[in-house]
Amino acid sequence: MTPLHYYLIFAALLFSVGLAGALMRRNAILVLIGIELMLNAANLNFIAFWRYSPTANELVGLMFVLFSIGIAAAEAAVGLAIIISIYRHHRSTQLQHVDRLKG
Amino acid sequence: MNYMELLGALAPEAIVVLTALVALAVDLLVLRQAPQNARQVVAVSITAVGILAAIIALSVAAPSPPWMDGLLINHSTTAFLKQTLLVLALVAGILSIQSRFTQHTGEYVTLLLLSTVGMMLLVSSDNLLLMFVALELTSLPLYVLTAFNKESPSSSEASLKYFLIGSLSAACLLFGISLLYGLSGGITWTQLATTLRAGSEPIVYLALILTLIGFAFKVAAAPFHLWAPDVYQGAPTPVAAFIASGSKIASFYMFARIFMAALPGTAGSAAWSGATPGWVPLVAALAVVSMILGNVAAIAQRSVKRLLAYSAIGHAGYALLAILSNTEQGMGSLLYYVVTYAVTAMGAFAVVNVIERDVQAPNGESLTDFAGLSRRSPLLSLCLLVFVLSLAGIPPLAGFFGKFYIFIATAQSGTSQGLIWLVMLAIGTSAISLYYYLQILKQVYVVESVGQPTPVQLRPAESACIVAMACTVLILGCAPNWLINRFSPNSTEVRRAGVITKPSTTLELAAEIHPRITAPLGTATGLVQKRPQFETTTANAQ
Amino acid sequence: MLAWTIYLSFLGAAMAALAPKDRPTIARWIALTTSVLGLGIGLAGILHQTNRSALQTIVDVPWIPAIHARYLLAADGISLTLVLLTGIAAVAGILFSWNITHRANQFFAFYLTLIGGVYGVFLSFDAFLFFVFYEIAIIPKYFLVAIWGSTNKEYGAMKLALYSFVGSALVLVGLIATYAHAGSPTFSLLELARQPLPTSFQVWVFPLVFVGFAILAGLWPFHTWAPTGHVAAPTAASMLLAGVVMKLGAYGALRVAMPLFPEGLAAWRDPLALLSVIGILAGAGIALIQKDFKFVVGYSSVSHMGFVLLGLMTLSVTGLSGAVLQMFSHGIIASLLFAVVGRMIYDRAHTRELSALESLQLSRALPFAAITFVLASLASMGLPGFSGFVAELQVLMGAWKTFPLYAALAGIGILIGVAYTLRVLVKAFFGQSNGTIEAATHENYAPISIPERIGALLLLGTSLLVGIYPRVLLDLILPSFETPLMKPLLKGAGL
Repeated sequence: MTPLHYYLIFAALLFSVGLAGALMRRNAILVLIGIELMLNAANLNFIAFWRYSPTANELVGLMFVLFSIGIAAAEAAVGLAIIISIYRHHRSTQLQHVDRLKG
Repeated sequence: MNYMELLGALAPEAIVVLTALVALAVDLLVLRQAPQNARQVVAVSITAVGILAAIIALSVAAPSPPWMDGLLINHSTTAFLKQTLLVLALVAGILSIQSRFTQHTGEYVTLLLLSTVGMMLLVSSDNLLLMFVALELTSLPLYVLTAFNKESPSSSEASLKYFLIGSLSAACLLFGISLLYGLSGGITWTQLATTLRAGSEPIVYLALILTLIGFAFKVAAAPFHLWAPDVYQGAPTPVAAFIASGSKIASFYMFARIFMAALPGTAGSAAWSGATPGWVPLVAALAVVSMILGNVAAIAQRSVKRLLAYSAIGHAGYALLAILSNTEQGMGSLLYYVVTYAVTAMGAFAVVNVIERDVQAPNGESLTDFAGLSRRSPLLSLCLLVFVLSLAGIPPLAGFFGKFYIFIATAQSGTSQGLIWLVMLAIGTSAISLYYYLQILKQVYVVESVGQPTPVQLRPAESACIVAMACTVLILGCAPNWLINRFSPNSTEVRRAGVITKPSTTLELAAEIHPRITAPLGTATGLVQKRPQFETTTANAQ
Repeated sequence: MLAWTIYLSFLGAAMAALAPKDRPTIARWIALTTSVLGLGIGLAGILHQTNRSALQTIVDVPWIPAIHARYLLAADGISLTLVLLTGIAAVAGILFSWNITHRANQFFAFYLTLIGGVYGVFLSFDAFLFFVFYEIAIIPKYFLVAIWGSTNKEYGAMKLALYSFVGSALVLVGLIATYAHAGSPTFSLLELARQPLPTSFQVWVFPLVFVGFAILAGLWPFHTWAPTGHVAAPTAASMLLAGVVMKLGAYGALRVAMPLFPEGLAAWRDPLALLSVIGILAGAGIALIQKDFKFVVGYSSVSHMGFVLLGLMTLSVTGLSGAVLQMFSHGIIASLLFAVVGRMIYDRAHTRELSALESLQLSRALPFAAITFVLASLASMGLPGFSGFVAELQVLMGAWKTFPLYAALAGIGILIGVAYTLRVLVKAFFGQSNGTIEAATHENYAPISIPERIGALLLLGTSLLVGIYPRVLLDLILPSFETPLMKPLLKGAGL
C-alpha cells in the first residue's frame, strides 16, 4: 500500500499550486480555480488521513469531505455570480481593472 | 440519538431559518406588485417576529448537555451571544428600511437571516466540521449581501475582493483543519486538546498558521485585513454594519475557543524575554501589526466608513490581546469587548447610514458631510459622540472598560508580566487613535455647516434603535458587571475544555474532560508520533 | 454629602444640554446654580469635617468585582482644599462667561462635565475610579477650546487633548502594571500603598505614572501644551485649565504616584526636582519676552506650577503643604489673571498684543480692570498679604533643607516673575499715549459688568483671605499628611 506521506506531499503540492495561482493570476476566474485547487488539496488530505486512521470506520474524514465538496460548490456559485456582476460594471474580469476603492 | 431532542436543541436556529423562508415566500408570492417601502416594512416585520421568537426560545431553553462530543453545545454564554447576534441582525434589517440599494427585499432579508444562522451555529460548536460549515454559512450570504447594490460598481468590487480573499483564507483554514484532523485523529475539541502538543512535529505549526490565517481574515486582523476597508466602504451600509458587528462577535468567539480550548497544548509564549513557539506568539504578531497599522492608517482616511474599517482593524488588535492572554479572564474580557464593540460599531454605522441617505452623494459619504451635524440634529450627534468616544476608549463608556479589562487580563497572564510590552503598545496606539476619532467629532461639533442648517430626516424606528444603542454603550460602561456576569457561569465549561488548566499529563486532562477518551488514547495519539507509526497503526487496523 | 458635588455637576451638564438653544439665559442660570451649590457643598464639607487627621469615607461600595474596583469616594484636607478651589474657580468661570451666547447650552454642558470630572478626581481614592474621572475631564476641554476658543483654537485644542491623553496613557500603563504586580490585586490606593512593591519595579513604573500626571501639571519639558492651550481657550476654559486642570496633574502625582512608589520616588527625586526648577526658570524667562498678553500669563502658569512640583519633591511637611497651598493659590490667581486678560480686556479691545495695548491706556478706560490686575499681579509676584506669598515661601523653606541650590534658583525665578509681571502691568495698562487715542474708542468699551465684578471680588477676596490668614487652609492641609496614605511620604525624605 502506498505510504501516507505520498498522499500528503501530493496534497501539499496541489495546495501550493492552487495558492500560487490564486495569488499571481490577474483574472478573477483563474483565481477562483486556484482556490478550488486548494480546497481539493485539503479534501485529499482528509481522505488520506481517514483511510490511514485507526478509527476509519467512524467515517469522520469522509463526512468532512462530503460537506466540503458541497461548500466548495456553493462557493463557486457565489463566486461566479459576483464575477458576472463585476463583468457587468467593468466589462472585464481582470483584477487590475477593478480598482475604484482605494485608500 | 433522538431527532426530536436535536430539533429542540436547534429550535432557535430552526425558527430563524423558517422566518427566512417565510419572508422570502411572502415577498415573492404575495407582495410582488406592492410598493417597495411596504415590502421592506413587511419583510422586516416578519424578521422581527421570527427573531423575537428565537430570542424567547433561547431564553426559555434549559441548558442541554453537549451533543455528540460537542457537535452542538448550548449553555448560558452561547445563548446570550446568539441573542445578541439576533438583535444585531434585526437592527441591520431596520436600518435597511427606506434605503434604495435593492429591489429584492425578500432575498435580502433571507440572506441576512441565513448568515445569522451561520453565526449562531458558529458560537455553539466544539467541532471542526460544524465550525467550518458554520463559517461558510456565515460568509457566503455576506459576500452576496455585499454585492447587493447592483447599481453601484463599488458594491460589486467590494464583494469580489471580500469573496476572493475570504475563500482564499477559507481554503487555508480547511487545509489547516485537515492537518489538525490528521495529527489528532479527530475533529472534536476534546480529541484535539488531548493529542496536540507543541514541539511534537513541525507540521503542527503549519496547521496552526493555516488555521490562524482563516480566522485572522474573518476578524480583519492585519495583514489579512485588505478586504475590510473596501467592504466597509463599498457594501450597502446596513450590510457593512452587520459585517462589522455580528460577524465579529461570532468569529472572535470561535477564534478564541478553537485556540484556547482545542489547542492549549500548542500555546507557546509571547513574553518579551523568553518567547516560545506556538500560536500565542503568532497571535501576538497579528495583534501588533493590527494595532499599529489600523490606528495609523485610519488617520489618513477621508471617508468615515473607511475610517471605521481601519479603526476596526485596530480594535481587532486589542481583542487579539485577550485571546493570547489564554486565560479564563481573557475569555471574559474578550466577550465583553466584542459585544460592546459590536453594539458601538452598529450604532456608528447606523448614524453613517442616516447621513449617507441625507447627502445622497454618488461616491458615498465623506468626513465633511458630517460638518455642523450638531446644529442639524442634536440627538443624532450626541449618539455619535457616545459611539465615537466609546471607540476611542473614553470613560464612562463601554469601550473604555472593554479595553481596560483586556489590558488587565493580558498583563496578569503569562509569567512575571512578560506580556506587559503588548499592553504598553496597545495603550500607545490607543492614544494615537484619539486623534482621528476627534477628527470626526470636530466635524460634528466644531465645524459649522455651510448655509442654514437643515434638520436631518430620521425615521422613528431608526432613531429608537440608535438611541437604544447609545444608552446601552453608556450603561454597559457604567455598570460592566451586568454583562460580565452573563459570561461567568460558563467559565467552568471553558475550563473543562482545557483553557487554563494545564494538567501535567495528557491522560489526566483527557480523564478530566471526557472519561470515554482515556481508554483508546494510545491509539488516538498514534498519528502525532513518528511517521512510520502510520503504517504500523494501519496494519493494526487491518 | 460631598459626592453630590460630582452628581450635581453632571446633572447640571445634562440639564444645560437640554436647555433651549436660543435662550442662553436659562443655561447660564442652570450652570451658575449648579456651581454655586457645588461650592456650597464643598464649604459645608469642610465645616463638617470633624476628625481632620483621618480620611473621611464618603461612599464605599463594590463596583466591578471582576477587577476589584470599588466606588470609593473619600476626602482628606488636601482633597477638601482642592474641592474648594474647584468650586470657587467654577463659579468665577461662569461669571466671567456670562456674555457667551453662541451655543451657550452646549458651552455650559461641556463646562459642567469638566467640573464634574474634576470633583471626581479630587474625591476618588480608588485608582480605577480616579482614572475614570481623570479621563472624563479630557474630552470637554477639547470642545471648550475648539468651539469657543480664539487664536489657533483647533491646533491648541488638539494639542491639549493629545497631551492629556498621552499623559493618561502613561498613567494607565503604570496602573495596570501595578495591579498585575500587586500581591492581592486591588485598585484601592490605601491598600496598594500598603503592599510593598519590588524596588526594581517601582523604579520603572514611578516615572511613567509621575510624568503622566505631571504632563498636565506643566512639567518642563512637557509643558508646551499649556501656553498654546491657555491662549487658544475661551476665558472660562483658560481659567479652568490654569486654575483647576493643571492641579489635576499635580494632585495625581501627589496622591497616586508618590505614595504608591516610595522607592521609585527616592530614585527619581533629584532629576524631577531639577526639572521643576528648570520649569520655574524657563517659564518665567519665556514670559519675560512674550508679545501676547495671554502668553505671558500662560508661561507664568508653567513657572508657578514649577513651585508646586518642587514642593512635592521636598518630601517635608513644610514643602508638601506649601505645594498644596500653592496649588490653591495659583488656581485662584491664575483664574483671575486670565479673567482680566481674556474677558475684561480682550473682549473689549479685541487685541492682546502688548504693543497695541500700550497705546490704548486701558487704566483710564477700564479702571476696574486695571485695579484688579494690579492687585492680581501683586498676588502673582508673591507679595506678602496674598496667598502666593505664603505658598511660595513654604516651598522655598522646604526646598532649602534638601536642595539649597534649587531653592536659590527658584528664588531667582521669583525675581524674574516680578520683572515680567511689572513689564506687562506697565505695558498693558499704563502705556504712554501718543495722543492718537480718541475718547470714542474708550466709550465703545462696554463697562465692566456686575458678574465680572462679583467674580473678580470673589477671587481677590479668597487670595487675600488665605494670604492674611493662611491657617484657614493650613489647618486642613497639615493634618492630611498624618493619614496612613500620606504619612509614609515624609519618611521617604530620609531615604
